[in-house]
Amino acid sequence: MRPEVALPILIPLLAGALSLAFWRSRAMQRGIGVVGTGVMMLSAWVLLYTTWQEGYLVMHMGNWPAPFGIVLVADLLSAIMVVLAGITGFATAIYSLATLGKRHEHFGYYPLMHLLLAGVNGAFLTGDIFNLYVWFEVMLVASFALLILGGERAQMEGAIKYVTLNLVSSALFLSAIGLLYGLIGTLNMADLADKIAQLEDPGMVKVVAMLFLVAFGIKAAAFPFFFWLPASYHTPQVAVSALFAGLLTKVGVYALFRVFTLIFSLEDPFTQNVLLWMAGLTMLTGVLGAAAQYEFRRILSFHIISQIGYMILGLALFTPLALIGGVFYIMHHIIVKANLFFISGLIYRLKGSYELRELGGVYRSHPWLALLFLIPALSLAGLPPLSGFFAKFILIRAGIEAQAWWLVGVALLVGLLTLYSMVKIWSEVFWKAAPPSAGKTPEPRTRNDALLYLSIGGLALLTVLIGLGAQPVFVLAEQAAAQLLDPRGYIEAVLGGEA
Amino acid sequence: MSLVLIVMLPFIGAVLPALMIRTGRNACTIATASVTILAFALLMTHVPAVLRGEVVQVGWDWLPGLGLNANFFLDGLGLLFASLILGIGLLIIIYARFYLAKEDPMGTFFTYLLLFQGAMVGIVLSDNILMLLIFWELTSLSSFLLIGYWKHLPEGRQGARMALAVTGGGGLAMIAGALLLGQIVGSYDLSVILQHKELIQASPLYVPALLLILIGAFAKSAQFPLHFWLPHAMAAPTPVSAYLHSATMVKAGIFLLARLWPVLAGTEIWFYLVTTTGLITMVVAAYIALFKDDLKALLAYSTVSHLGLVTMLLGFGTPLAAVAAVFHIINHATFKAALFMSAGIVDHEVGSRDIKHLGGLVMLMPITATLATIAAASMAGIPLLNGFLSKEMMLEEAAHTVWAGQAWLIPLLATAGAMLSVAYSLRYITQVFFGPVREHYPSTPHDPPMGMWLPPAFLVGLVMLIGLFPQTFAGPLVAASAGAVIGGPLPDYYLSIWHGLTPALFMSAVALGLGIVILWRYTQVRAAWQKGPHPQAKALFDRTLTGAVAVSSALTYRLHNGSLQRYLAWFIGACVVIGYVTFWLSSHEAGNRAMLPAAPVAIVGWLLLIGGCAALMALHRDRLLALITVGVIGLIVSIGFVYLSAPDLALTQISVEVVTVVLLLLALNFLPKHTPAESMSVRKVRDGVLAVVAGLGVGAIAFAAMTRDFVTLSDFYLEQSLPGGGGTNVVNVILVDFRGFDTFGEIIVLGIAALAIFALLDGALRGEVGRKLDAWVSTEQRSMNRHPMMLVVATRVMLPLALLVGAYIFLRGHNVPGGGFIAGLVVAIALIMQYMASGFGWTAKRMRVDYHGMVGAGILIAAATGIGSWIAGHPFLTSAFEYFTWPLVGKFELASAIAFDTGVFLTVVGAVMLTLANLSRIGRRAQHQQINEQPMDVNPLENTKN
Repeated sequence: MRPEVALPILIPLLAGALSLAFWRSRAMQRGIGVVGTGVMMLSAWVLLYTTWQEGYLVMHMGNWPAPFGIVLVADLLSAIMVVLAGITGFATAIYSLATLGKRHEHFGYYPLMHLLLAGVNGAFLTGDIFNLYVWFEVMLVASFALLILGGERAQMEGAIKYVTLNLVSSALFLSAIGLLYGLIGTLNMADLADKIAQLEDPGMVKVVAMLFLVAFGIKAAAFPFFFWLPASYHTPQVAVSALFAGLLTKVGVYALFRVFTLIFSLEDPFTQNVLLWMAGLTMLTGVLGAAAQYEFRRILSFHIISQIGYMILGLALFTPLALIGGVFYIMHHIIVKANLFFISGLIYRLKGSYELRELGGVYRSHPWLALLFLIPALSLAGLPPLSGFFAKFILIRAGIEAQAWWLVGVALLVGLLTLYSMVKIWSEVFWKAAPPSAGKTPEPRTRNDALLYLSIGGLALLTVLIGLGAQPVFVLAEQAAAQLLDPRGYIEAVLGGEA
Repeated sequence: MSLVLIVMLPFIGAVLPALMIRTGRNACTIATASVTILAFALLMTHVPAVLRGEVVQVGWDWLPGLGLNANFFLDGLGLLFASLILGIGLLIIIYARFYLAKEDPMGTFFTYLLLFQGAMVGIVLSDNILMLLIFWELTSLSSFLLIGYWKHLPEGRQGARMALAVTGGGGLAMIAGALLLGQIVGSYDLSVILQHKELIQASPLYVPALLLILIGAFAKSAQFPLHFWLPHAMAAPTPVSAYLHSATMVKAGIFLLARLWPVLAGTEIWFYLVTTTGLITMVVAAYIALFKDDLKALLAYSTVSHLGLVTMLLGFGTPLAAVAAVFHIINHATFKAALFMSAGIVDHEVGSRDIKHLGGLVMLMPITATLATIAAASMAGIPLLNGFLSKEMMLEEAAHTVWAGQAWLIPLLATAGAMLSVAYSLRYITQVFFGPVREHYPSTPHDPPMGMWLPPAFLVGLVMLIGLFPQTFAGPLVAASAGAVIGGPLPDYYLSIWHGLTPALFMSAVALGLGIVILWRYTQVRAAWQKGPHPQAKALFDRTLTGAVAVSSALTYRLHNGSLQRYLAWFIGACVVIGYVTFWLSSHEAGNRAMLPAAPVAIVGWLLLIGGCAALMALHRDRLLALITVGVIGLIVSIGFVYLSAPDLALTQISVEVVTVVLLLLALNFLPKHTPAESMSVRKVRDGVLAVVAGLGVGAIAFAAMTRDFVTLSDFYLEQSLPGGGGTNVVNVILVDFRGFDTFGEIIVLGIAALAIFALLDGALRGEVGRKLDAWVSTEQRSMNRHPMMLVVATRVMLPLALLVGAYIFLRGHNVPGGGFIAGLVVAIALIMQYMASGFGWTAKRMRVDYHGMVGAGILIAAATGIGSWIAGHPFLTSAFEYFTWPLVGKFELASAIAFDTGVFLTVVGAVMLTLANLSRIGRRAQHQQINEQPMDVNPLENTKN
């Protein structure tokens, strides 16, 4: 029995339940917030280490043998994702301490944050397709609750679109699971993979695979299923935005990676083409959307979409190098994206606005913040030697090797346009002198700003480290991709050697 | 090792100025200069070896998986560029010390400068083309910071953005080109790539790789038509312009062309692309430079023109032309840096750099005038100065180069370029320093402090020394670097002033003569030029940019118009398209499973379901009716479960329906009773078609799936339920044991949903909505009897019964239909009844439970059950059960699953009650009523007294 696999789910669950039990004590909830996410992050590192050392870790829930009970499975991809969730969660918890108002804390911000993280980790670790659905639901409802926390009108409007469109995904996902069960008769992902590989006529499975593609495509905010994201991400508390930006869509991406490497085949040219087109158009529409925006968080939100395109490209090309690139991209992106949202929030605190037109002069007043912005921003645009350069570079090289010329072109062009966006922010927010009526009055500094810099600086440091120490990260991604490309290992680890 | 240090020193040293600025500007300058001096000294230690023709190499693996190695090497070409970068860099640092004003943050400036310097040195010393790319992008970035250094100036910011967009974008093209090159050769190490000329030029990827690399190089070196960013980069402080645009940044593209010359040059496509671009750039830019009044703009275009000259030479592809190119790189760097610095001095000391406001400065600032005159004369190609020598070599090469069969074309245009160059150089001299002294200058002109004129003086010294003794002062360096460019034996050449009466000398003389004529007739020439069109590259660039933004805005807002219906239409539409196409392409005929006859009951149910859905469509604008219809549909579904022999599901479905309808009714109380009509008929048709098509699609897949045979896990569950799970109700055992983890997740969902409702409603109460509620007057007719006695009495009587039923359902769940979930709902319904009968406030006073805590406790208990099995050494949620025999009760089973089910029970009750509590609070607020003290409207006791 390996407790490592379950801990990253259970720790935030317990932390969430405990915070609920201390409903009236904000101090306790804040404490549990930091300690809980911190311990969760530690458990995630332990999981990654163990997975690296020993390979797949499997836990049969309720001690029922697979495929009858539910299994938790950690391969390297899962472990990496869990570590990223841990990092983002911990940074968000620290950031929240300094930014959240009483009102938000009163309405259960901390329990919701823990439960959201539990849902995210559950989705990363489960080896059962229906259980994946359950964790998706946990995430959806928790994120909805976080989205409306504060009760502003804009939040409501965004949240309704968010939840309605995501429920479409849930409905599709559930129908797809039902249909798949009706065809194959099992829910365990390894078992599904094993049985589907032996099918003589996988025709109907391909159709069901498309339903999964759409369901996860919605979650991942891929073209043309991304509308919910720009409608909602700029509305909640910035700590919430950051958490969402870092993790939520990536769960959809993870699910695509998992399902289309393990269960369904991408060797079918039609499926692969659909994914390739999806990747290219996602990159393009996202970045074009960002070009049209002049609100800090909206720009960032649209860039999430275009970045998702890169990750899907890594999957869709389906070569070893491309998968490495995809995994590398996810690692790079989560940290960078959450950080950019953090920075937008800090600037909002300083200057009282998210509108580029109303901002300015931050370079003069806060030169170190300018440096801290440049690191994730340039990394997002793919400038060396930061993490994003390597992520893009691997993908572009993979694209060239696969001779997917137009996608290489799109990837490069989107890189340029991302740079344009980041430079736009830099020029407007940092370089430009502050306009005379600079926004609204800044929020009073009630709590320690050092906490904000701690989260931002920590994530920026990681971005630099992933760049300079690209080799170990590359090797990690390489191993993870190797596991994805050879599902036998996963299947045998879950079902036992004889399968 | 010291090679790496040369590259790294500026990067590491970049923190120094930022720190040292606190101790003063001089200390800061000295610190910065020492970094550069140290790097330069290290470089010099390698000079003897390199001049002997050796190549110094060092490196280690960075990202071997990608072929990215941190390899560096120093050959003649690298040495030439590195000395220019570091040498001129040092002069610039000294110059900048005196140039920058007090209010300019000098620490930041030097930090950027050192970063840029490091990146440039990195480019020229990289032995790995990917490393080179990394440094390449770093120069784009650091130059962006330098150009925008005066961040308060809008033109500074715009210039910086434009430079970054063009050079950074070119860099991206180069990434692709470099990757292709590496793909062909199989290595990214330059020293390897340079060995494979035949392989590369024979490859089908040669042309795309060449094109991409050229785009990158031309963007960086400001070649037509990508030249337009450079003049706008002149918004930077002059030291930056002097550094970036004489010796470094713009030369990076040239460097790359020279670096890859051995493997890329020599083909027809190379010749036509590179030569033509260079030629056009040289002539056009020189022509524009002639009419620029801003000194820096004039110099900027002249730089573009000279870069075009070097590009053209490299394009010729002959060894001799390569020698000339290398020689001109040296010469251009010296005189152009000096010229920029002198322009900066004029600007600094006179207060203007507009030729129209200048003139006659020679007596007022003699030192500057002398320096600028010599440097400009060199630029014009006047004999005895170094510019003359390399221009002569260029003309010589041009004289016998044939372009598309036309032998006259290149010589003619080259002469024209040289002529224009003479004209603008002389104009720089005559119209700034000579001519009448003006009465008013923006500020009193005088020579600058020595720190400012010494750096250009040093360069001018070089200009003259090389001009007079080329072989002594430049010979070895030219030989070494040209050798590196050619990558083979050097051609037969010698650097000297007099080569005899060659065609080049004749062309040179013509150029000089005509140039003087142009200047003599400048007013007329200018008038003619005024009439012509003046395409503004910046306006074009801005228009393109604005246009692109407008297009993306239009696209984005067309897509994101905020309409949920449209978003849904996209979702379903895309799903339908993808789904149908796949369905069509796959084998989709029905399976061969025998069909069951449809029972009349089933058909009736099916029709009812369809009817219910249709009714919902028709009635959806009347919310109350719609809700009732939803309830009916739910009931039919639960009957469906009964029909399909799933009593547990039916029970659950019914209780869920009841709770949902009750809660929705409560909510509906405060909502408008009608939904406004939102869809026009066109859209209704669209949505209807989409819905029908999507529904049919799902139906088809379901049909295909259900007509096929498959093996399920059910048999295992049926077998193992009792012996393994300790229960005979397989559904319940599945829920709490086989798939207990799912249930665990689902109760969390429920708990969070309750929290969400709490946050939603309670949050809303505090804002605008709260005020609205306070002012809310219900338009509905209310019952006079708020808490009817019959209801109160009935619910009181039913409460213990219902609780008992709940307990019964809970306990028996493991063996017959029931379980914690259903029990929780039943109990919740029983409690809701109390609230309905006597009002929330009254009931809440008698039931003080923290529902948040209840939800938390439920989750904790469920989790604890799971973890308990862990302590016993089993995986999470492993159940255990034991049979006990109690007196009276008899044989009794106790399963750990019961504890888990308790958790489920508590969460369900807590969640439902939390929701109810919140809805009721809204109601209380809206109806402005006191909490009733009595359980019902009529007090039966009072009545009896009367």
